[in-house]
Amino acid sequence: MVQLFNRVVPGIIVVLFCLVVFPLKLAAAENGEYIAIRKEGSGNIALVLDKLDANGKKESKFAQSLDTIMHDGLDFTKIFSLISPPLNVKDFTDKKNVVINFGALTSVGAEVYAGGTLTRKSGMINLDMKVYDASGSKLLLSKTYTGREEGLRSIGHAFCADLIELLTGKKSVFGSKIVFISNKTGFKEIYECDFDGYGVAQLTNLKSIAMNPALSPDGKHLAYIGFASGRPTLYIRNLVDGKIASVSKSGVSIDPGWRNNTEVAATLSPEGNQEIFLVNTDGSLSKRVTNNKSIDISPTFSPDGTKMAFVSSRNGLPQIFVQDMQSGLVKRLTFSGRYNTQPAWSPLGDKIAYTTWEKNGEINIFVVNADGSGLKQLTQNSRENKSPSFSPDGEMIVYTSNRQGREKVYVMSSKGGNERLLLQGDDVQTQPSWSLFR
Amino acid sequence: MKRNSIIVLALMVTAGCSSKSAVTPDTGTTSQAPSAPVPSSPTGYGFDQWQTGPLGDVFFEFDSSTLSADGQEQLKQNGIYLESNALKKAIVEGHCDERGTSEYNLALGDRRAVSAKEFLVRYGVSPSRLETVSFGEERPFALGHDEEAWAKNRRAHFVLK
Repeated sequence: MVQLFNRVVPGIIVVLFCLVVFPLKLAAAENGEYIAIRKEGSGNIALVLDKLDANGKKESKFAQSLDTIMHDGLDFTKIFSLISPPLNVKDFTDKKNVVINFGALTSVGAEVYAGGTLTRKSGMINLDMKVYDASGSKLLLSKTYTGREEGLRSIGHAFCADLIELLTGKKSVFGSKIVFISNKTGFKEIYECDFDGYGVAQLTNLKSIAMNPALSPDGKHLAYIGFASGRPTLYIRNLVDGKIASVSKSGVSIDPGWRNNTEVAATLSPEGNQEIFLVNTDGSLSKRVTNNKSIDISPTFSPDGTKMAFVSSRNGLPQIFVQDMQSGLVKRLTFSGRYNTQPAWSPLGDKIAYTTWEKNGEINIFVVNADGSGLKQLTQNSRENKSPSFSPDGEMIVYTSNRQGREKVYVMSSKGGNERLLLQGDDVQTQPSWSLFR
Repeated sequence: MKRNSIIVLALMVTAGCSSKSAVTPDTGTTSQAPSAPVPSSPTGYGFDQWQTGPLGDVFFEFDSSTLSADGQEQLKQNGIYLESNALKKAIVEGHCDERGTSEYNLALGDRRAVSAKEFLVRYGVSPSRLETVSFGEERPFALGHDEEAWAKNRRAHFVLK
């Protein structure tokens, strides 16, 4: 008969300063196999996230909050089917030797079990988490997360991030930010929020029009277009020291896109023609990239920076093109749809998302492979869907939709589906952009 | 009777009600207004409630920055004004309707403004007297969501400095 019970041996945990890794090595070796299986399997991971054990009134309150934070965080990714823990999942008869009932877990269809204990010491929270393969009753992860009481969200999300990396082999969205435009104050200002819409904060106070915010890959700079001077100008704000650089050329500046941490591309029109330039973070011009009499806008780069997708009207109405940065060779990417704009290159490198303004008046989001194959429509029958931007793991897309009236920020799976409103409120929200850092 | 309707109108206006149908049919009241000399503003192609002169605006077709015959005629008139007012400078603002996407419209507005400026420069106006700027779809004039409003918003708008 298969072993039904397995002992949970309390590990000796050394609490360092912030987060402490325990036996990740052991888990990694055995998980290679597990990840491979997951990649082929299509469905969600059936997970039982057990309620945290805690002794004491305050501890129990923090444990409850963390239960919710971790549950909501994992649910947001849509990677899991979250199964309620069976009543007899743990046997407490021997308090010093609590055992997990793996039979009960497999009978409810769980593939993975995660549970843990919360303790508190001089204002610091210790979250001791263990993850098991439910069928093999194998310990996959044992790790302690330590943080301040006010930092419950980051403690919980640090575990969520580790769990996803463990099970999928990929980094997750936890810790990433989204920047966007809102008219909340009556002006168009830049705001940021966490990946899940939590913690909205205003970043600019231009009392004017701001457009197209974009964070550099390392998160140290914010590029955007601002009208404070009376004309659309490219600004690059250093988020570390607060210094702001701008491009002082005449003409317009349009839609910046980062190539790497030191170069941002944007359209400028010093001679009355809209061309894409590479600009350094101090606002100085590095290089002109396009050379065509038509409109060239909205640069977005492959992760290695060797290729740039952009919008050009060189064939009439706007279409997406891809330019090789070394050779300068340009290839047209989109052939379906009369008006294709707003390209976004996936951080995984394989796909480019963009929007098509369709004959019926709808604007819809599509994805296509970087070589032009595999075109797929992601939104439909929902009015105007604009400004797609990939999450750092490439699994999700943030965008806006006016399907319920005002234009608001939404997220969905980058394969389509799971479309949902990210931010409440009466404001008009536009041009969201997901950070690459997390 | 007329007095009453004026009061009603005044109340409606102060209450913030700007329904067009409530105001326009009552043409009788307008003649009651004090007949102070109204400065004559130019009329015709380039002039409307958002452009009262002396420089007229030019309008564009969908996704186009090409000047129409009417547009070129208006620019010639603007050129004549600028010729005889040699110290005046102007800003040419490019605007678009709300359709399509805002980044592309910002570029299209730039092309409309540049297109109008280049015509005037060829006509003989010094380029240093004309500054272009694009507002894309960010500052519409007409607020409707139909072709009537869109046509009003696809323009190069002149502002004397």
